[in-house]
Amino acid sequence: MPRLVNVKKSVMAADEEHASFIRSMMKQKGVLMINMIGSPGSGKTTLLEKLLPKLNLRCAVIEGDVATSRDAERIAVTGTPVVQINTQGGCHLEANLVRKALRDIPIDDIDVLFVENVGNLVCPAEFDLGETFKMAISSVPEGDDKPLKYPSLFHQARAVLLTKVDVLPYIKFDRSAFWRDVQKLNPGADKFELAVIEGKGLDDLIGAIEDWLKDIRGN
Amino acid sequence: MHEMSIVEALMEQIIEMSQDEDWEAVTRIRLKVGAMRQIVPDILKFCFDVASKGTIMENALLEIDEIPLLIKCDECGYLWSDREFLGMCPKCSSINVNLLNGMELELTNLEVEMKHAKTC
Ligand SMILES: Nc1nc2c(ncn2[C@@H]2O[C@H](COP(=O)(O)OP(=O)(O)O)[C@@H](O)[C@H]2O)c(=O)[nH]1
Ligand SMILES: [Mg+2]
Ligand SMILES: [Zn+2]
Repeated sequence: MPRLVNVKKSVMAADEEHASFIRSMMKQKGVLMINMIGSPGSGKTTLLEKLLPKLNLRCAVIEGDVATSRDAERIAVTGTPVVQINTQGGCHLEANLVRKALRDIPIDDIDVLFVENVGNLVCPAEFDLGETFKMAISSVPEGDDKPLKYPSLFHQARAVLLTKVDVLPYIKFDRSAFWRDVQKLNPGADKFELAVIEGKGLDDLIGAIEDWLKDIRGN
Repeated sequence: MHEMSIVEALMEQIIEMSQDEDWEAVTRIRLKVGAMRQIVPDILKFCFDVASKGTIMENALLEIDEIPLLIKCDECGYLWSDREFLGMCPKCSSINVNLLNGMELELTNLEVEMKHAKTC
């Protein structure tokens, strides 16, 4: 005889427990944790390389990649503590992996934890890591239709970065259409334009990071 | 392709539930999946069929209830359903809107076949 078993539980319940553990840990330690999500090559690692030496805050980085530790090596050059997670083919980070990586992060001695997620606009948006918020990173060469094509990420992100604006003269990219679509999906998002290699836009982002940190620490 | 991770989490949850039960087999699995979840039902089913081989839920039917977006304006109370999420109320243009339905990813229920009671 078949029997019906009622469950009514989130499919990701086990991982959500790890995420809420991480979230309360960050809250207790007063750490701003930013989950950076963008396509491969959108400039996430380059941004960190330029940002970390200029930030007057104590930072650490978790690097998520399918394989290799190349990005972690690039971050280590800046002197910032960094832990590499290899997802062995997985297209996104999950909270259980981040929780393990946190064992090697000096959490009591930092203000900001950056997590560079696996390059992908779809999957990473679906997994809560316990972060303070998600940051969407989209670069000019990817085209101006990314917000509408990947609404889940752009809807959830507290901050949206348009990177590589230095190449705007060479690429067909409607900047106002891009921001109009972001605005539609997420009117409350903080918006930034950057040309990271030239250093353009970094100061605005640094100011915002300082404000976000004040925000979570309630001062 | 995060469908495989979801299938793995689902299977782990069901296997854990089955530990203290006299289940012979799981024959049906019913899920709620919100439209905002970027899950392709056919891919989810395919991943499930591959991953469930040799487990208690091999051959189970995966039933997916797709939940459309439901959005509410907190300013004027307007309630609407849409294919795409827009962060602005079409009635009063307020940005104070909330997604009520669309983020679901829930295991609703299971149908299981019980082991036959032992005759003594
Ligand atoms: N023109 C230009 N190129 C950039 C900029 N930021 C990054 N890049 C280049 O984009 C490529 C990918 O960058 P990377 O940081 O590795 O991307 P990730 O995969 O998102 O970490 C590299 O060749 C960078 O030099 C920028 O602001 N302008
Ligand atoms: Mg990188
Ligand atoms: Zn309204």
